[in-house]
Amino acid sequence: MEPLKIVIAGPVGAGKSTIIRTLSETEVVDTDAFASEDIGKKTTTVAMDYGTLHLGDQLLYLFGTPGQDRFDFMWDVLSEGALGLLLLIRGDRPEDFVPARRLLDYITSRHSIPYVLGVTRQDQPPVWEPEEVAVFFGVPAERVVGLNAKDPRSAIGPLLRLLELLIENK
Amino acid sequence: MTKQEQLHGILKKLKQALPELRSIVIASTDGLPIAHNAADAPRVAAMAATALGLGKRIGQTAELGSLQETIVRGDQGYFVIYAAGDKGVLAVSAPADANLGLIHLEARGCAGRLAQILEEVIE
Repeated sequence: MEPLKIVIAGPVGAGKSTIIRTLSETEVVDTDAFASEDIGKKTTTVAMDYGTLHLGDQLLYLFGTPGQDRFDFMWDVLSEGALGLLLLIRGDRPEDFVPARRLLDYITSRHSIPYVLGVTRQDQPPVWEPEEVAVFFGVPAERVVGLNAKDPRSAIGPLLRLLELLIENK
Repeated sequence: MTKQEQLHGILKKLKQALPELRSIVIASTDGLPIAHNAADAPRVAAMAATALGLGKRIGQTAELGSLQETIVRGDQGYFVIYAAGDKGVLAVSAPADANLGLIHLEARGCAGRLAQILEEVIE
């Protein structure tokens, strides 16, 4: 079976680096730099994160993008040849939903690939639930999965859903 | 002298030492422009931070020690990104016929001075 390249995108602080650190079976390649803006954390990804994961026999290559709009060229670089997109959104930060919607359009308009929305921080209510986020984004409910990016059993959920979609589309 | 004046002073000195440089951008390691003479500084600053960040990570894997610079070379010029301490990036663009050795000599010294100033500016 060919390995599948998956891109993990989303606004700053959504949990892109975290989910890759949680799930990767190999040493993660990360590119953290000191954050000079107030973004609620000390460091931020400036180029990419990379990790690998097996779902059954299927090997996934996980490529995480930087979150800030100024790094949009990396969204293109990393989406090249990708077969699926996981867009992460913080469930407790609805002000990120509109920028996340733009990001989703940006990538899917340039790279016609199946996507799943992952709504993070489900372990820290009050948060928006996946069903509510699906309505907000105007996408089918099965495209939206809730998760906690720090918990391996939960973090794997949206990737399993993405794999199901990829198999259906074959 | 304010920090911004010091930074512009460094930029001016580098431009005087290397008049062939097309542009100079001083940025934070997370890709925000701090001082520059480039028209498209926000984009250059972000790209410089990405290239330097990836260069650092490659340097770690290849056991190259502390990263000094990342070089992009095309048939019509150079784009060189120097590390300026933990928090700063110095990016210069030069034509293909520029003397890369001379650019390194001036820019590395400049990056060292920048590192000190930026350490105090960015907290």
